[in-house]
Amino acid sequence: MTSRAQASVDYHDAVGVVKLTGEVDIVAAHDLRDRLLGAVRNEDLGLVVDLTDASYIDSVGVSLLFELAEKLTERQLRLAVVLPDGGLVARVLGIVNLGSVVEVEPSVDEAVATLHGA
Amino acid sequence: MKSRIAADRLRDLQSITDAALAYLPLEGLLNELLNRVIAILGVDTSAILLLEDDDTTLIPRAAKGLEEEVERRVRIPVGRGFAGRVAATGRPVRILNVAEADIYNPILREKGLESLLGAPLLVEGHVIGVLHVGTLTRRNFDDEDVELLQRAADRAALAISSRLTERERGLADALQSSLLPRLPELPAVSLAGRYLPAASERIGGDWYDAFLLPDGRLGLAIGDVVGRGFHAAAIMGQLRSGLRAYALDGNSPGQVLERLSRLLRDIEAGRTATVIYLVADPHGGVLHYASAGHPPPLVQAPGEEPRLLEIPGSVPLGATRHPRYEDHEEELDPGALLVLYTDGLVERPGEPLEVGLDLLTETVAAGADQLEHLCDGVVDVMLPEGTGVDDAAFLMARALPLGDVFVAQLPAEIESIPLMRRVLARWLDEAGATQRDIDDLTLAAAEAAANAIEHAYGLAPGVVELRAARDEAGGVTVAIRDFGHWRQPRGTHRGRGLLLMEGLTDDVEVFRSDEGTTVELSRRLGVEAAA
Repeated sequence: MTSRAQASVDYHDAVGVVKLTGEVDIVAAHDLRDRLLGAVRNEDLGLVVDLTDASYIDSVGVSLLFELAEKLTERQLRLAVVLPDGGLVARVLGIVNLGSVVEVEPSVDEAVATLHGA
Repeated sequence: MKSRIAADRLRDLQSITDAALAYLPLEGLLNELLNRVIAILGVDTSAILLLEDDDTTLIPRAAKGLEEEVERRVRIPVGRGFAGRVAATGRPVRILNVAEADIYNPILREKGLESLLGAPLLVEGHVIGVLHVGTLTRRNFDDEDVELLQRAADRAALAISSRLTERERGLADALQSSLLPRLPELPAVSLAGRYLPAASERIGGDWYDAFLLPDGRLGLAIGDVVGRGFHAAAIMGQLRSGLRAYALDGNSPGQVLERLSRLLRDIEAGRTATVIYLVADPHGGVLHYASAGHPPPLVQAPGEEPRLLEIPGSVPLGATRHPRYEDHEEELDPGALLVLYTDGLVERPGEPLEVGLDLLTETVAAGADQLEHLCDGVVDVMLPEGTGVDDAAFLMARALPLGDVFVAQLPAEIESIPLMRRVLARWLDEAGATQRDIDDLTLAAAEAAANAIEHAYGLAPGVVELRAARDEAGGVTVAIRDFGHWRQPRGTHRGRGLLLMEGLTDDVEVFRSDEGTTVELSRRLGVEAAA
């Protein structure tokens, strides 16, 4: 069991990439929400949320991703989530069918490329 | 003839202090004493200076003919100048000609003093201050003068020490109790600690602390600020708060200590402290820690002998400008005992540190299971005659056995969820669950608990009960129970919560009654993690 979630933001060609590590849960959600919404710049094409090193996500963390997808869509922006196969986070996001509202990609490069419409 | 007069004068001195002890406040007593000293010795000035708590500085407390000394609050370093030399040596000092002597305090020259005589204020052989007299004309103080002043100083020291201890005792007790932490409550975890002030003080620079981190792990700290009494305690209080703040901000133990060292240099340059800070899950997992010159804690895995944590040497806080504190980690078995302590517990005069450490190790190995009893036993063995000149502190933490059926009640607060996940993960592991079983079941249980916390209670405090047991089918049932009345769930993520519970277990049952709601999550064990 790792520590609580940390978010770091990086930008790749007009796409913000937020890397979430640790536990994306009810305890961390409030702080993470601000970090995620704040990472979206007006001139960007969209946002990538990298969950490769996230160890845990609960329904509050899941709802944060759905909310983010909705807010970006309203602004004609797109959300992509980077998720490796297997593991608890992938199982959870499979159960709630996150793939129905966002692009799910195996790597940051592929996610950025997807948002660029490649 | 002369000695008869001296004896009479001495009696005068004693009578004033004895009578004054009964009713005069300390300042009044000192002023009376100084008047009497001036009259008896036939001098022009007299002054009393007391050592600050850390014994490095003399501060004037009362003066006759030298009132400016008190008003200006001159600070005289021990060892420097005339009074500083009296304090440093603990012996009387005579100065025939001020103009040619090493004098630190400019007021003595400003007032035109020619000759000086100073005597230490001694309590049980320990210097607490200085009494000095001066003359505006040159005077060669003889041995009888010296003896008379030393007698006066002894009387003053006695009066001062009894007054100070009386007044400071109340303050010290209040400060100490406010600085000792209220230990956090974790399910199936026992914590106990002791603080023992030095025999001569009521308070000091040692402290321990234990607090809950946002992810449900436990922060454990112990430290020792160099110095004694109130001053050390005041710095200790600031360091304790600083450590908590940096820790709650999510810093690693090494980062916490690096920031704390900067803070200490900012509070008081030149002051040093040793600290060790650990982040532990008593239910098992990786123990993270960093040390700033502090003696290593004891760790005792269940069924094993206690041993010292291995820590390479490191500098105390505040000792260097940019210290680096390395993060260390090691695996901690569920139920392992951790014992943090300060050197006051293990150091004994004239013996190498190893002797005390070995004794502590033996005491812990042979000690009681119950931590409060173990603490009492450690005090009895390690400090059979109480503390000496140093204060002592220690802190113990250990997770308790969980049993076949585990029941725990937690406050109905979000912060309880990470705690519940950790203890449930340990129970499931001991019940033979795979990592995937553990991941899925703890997440499902966390969702059920979040539902209860959000919907069962209003703003009034409530509890959530966790019950974990094996079921007949060879699986486990985890029940989350509340004792409130549900309102209709709001928001979509609670809907997803139920979806997750169903997706991650074999069966979800919800029982509602007037007494509350129980959610039962069942699952067969033995599901391997997916590739």
